[in-house]
Amino acid sequence: MRVFICGFGTVGQGLCEVLADRAQFFLDRYGEPVIVTGAMDSRTFILAPQGIAPLDLVARKKGSGRVGDESYTDSTAVLEQAEYDILVEVSPTDVKTGGAGLVNITYALNHGKDVITVNKGPLALKFCELISLARKNKCKLRFEGSVAGAMPIINLCHENLKGERISSIRGIFNGTCNFILSKMDKGQPFEQALKEAQQMGYAETDPTNDIEGYDSACKVAILANSIFGRNVTFNDVKITGITGITDEAVAMAASRNMVIRLIGEISETRLEVGPRLVPKGHPLSISGTLNTALIQADLAGPITITGRGAGRIETASAILSDLIAIMDERRNRR
Amino acid sequence: MIVNAELFVKDLPGQLVGSIEPISLVDGNIMGVMHDRERIVNHRICINITFEVDSQEQLEQLKNIWKSKDIIISKLGSVYQTYTMDYLLIGKIDALYIEGLIRRASEIVTLDNVDVRYSSRSSSSDKKSGMISVKVRNLEDLDLLDGFLSAECRDAGITYVRGV
Repeated sequence: MRVFICGFGTVGQGLCEVLADRAQFFLDRYGEPVIVTGAMDSRTFILAPQGIAPLDLVARKKGSGRVGDESYTDSTAVLEQAEYDILVEVSPTDVKTGGAGLVNITYALNHGKDVITVNKGPLALKFCELISLARKNKCKLRFEGSVAGAMPIINLCHENLKGERISSIRGIFNGTCNFILSKMDKGQPFEQALKEAQQMGYAETDPTNDIEGYDSACKVAILANSIFGRNVTFNDVKITGITGITDEAVAMAASRNMVIRLIGEISETRLEVGPRLVPKGHPLSISGTLNTALIQADLAGPITITGRGAGRIETASAILSDLIAIMDERRNRR
Repeated sequence: MIVNAELFVKDLPGQLVGSIEPISLVDGNIMGVMHDRERIVNHRICINITFEVDSQEQLEQLKNIWKSKDIIISKLGSVYQTYTMDYLLIGKIDALYIEGLIRRASEIVTLDNVDVRYSSRSSSSDKKSGMISVKVRNLEDLDLLDGFLSAECRDAGITYVRGV
């Protein structure tokens, strides 16, 4: 199986480490290796039709700051030369236009290639179009890692809860906001909690996407489309961030034995991200950087899942599960 | 309708069952029974029952059966199921604003109970927090109230936080 990796930041490098670690697993399960035939970061690319050791790619990136020797301006021109069966798209997300990720995914699907992505922007903006394109060209588009990293919410709903009618999903889909609100539970003001999140690497220098709820809204749009079969985009989500939450408000909630959490909510009638009052001890009252989701199914009842919503290896774990699903399907088709 | 009844029965074996059975006879649904052996009046023991019947006709039928069995009905009242929800408003708010908001909300939905608490003004900003706890009689009213409050807060630039 030949894989080309678009985007070689923390997730791309994490994937290479996981592929190296699981090399024997693929040989045992499929009798063939997963070969990385190329990769590109934001400026450079490398093509290796015979394959390149995944850890060599990581070493190149760590050593020179670049994954390839050659520069490019048009990513589709690189993909045109590349030889691969599956495109793994893990470039930085762009929720306004879909960015390079949207271009790369569209190109690969148009050329009949299966795609695995964790890139929220293209999915939150053009989900239905991309799914239609994949169907039209008879290829797979999988995106487990795009929502809540290692927490297997999409595949759980699609595969394990196949026969269920899911009436709602409510969850914490942004670990940065949850970290800040958890710190505020302990008496820290918002600004101080945000600074600590930035110092610990949970929040970016510009934290707008997280604290204004845009990141959670992307995930809500993806879940609404993929689980509820709705036809919505990021722009349809009613969003309220956490910047208006004061330490007094958190203390007032605590006096009633409640905490404030940024909750994403999807049902037939709701498509929202906003701060909510959650009773202490409720499944959605978790602290720290974890993500969690409460799925309401008609037969199984409420199901709660919790996991790490971000991280190099954690997100690579979600990509690995999608890769195995595609390879299983290809094997069964033979 | 959900009904709560306080009955007094003779302190004899079988009287508790005898007071409950008629509810099933009229196709009612027993929701709760409290047998208070410490409350004895004229050698009779108090039983508090909450049950659901579909119509007034069924309730009258039930009352007649109890009377025929020498069961004294001391209290009979309707009970409604209520749903509680908390709302936290953060911003430039005062008691006058919240009172006006509640008054207008009560024109849209029936509020069974409203409790409001305020924080003192924040030391770090000029924002105040107000916690409104309400009880309504159905889930549709909660949706209506949520829609009303979230729209009002959005227009007024107030951060709106509701319960899950």
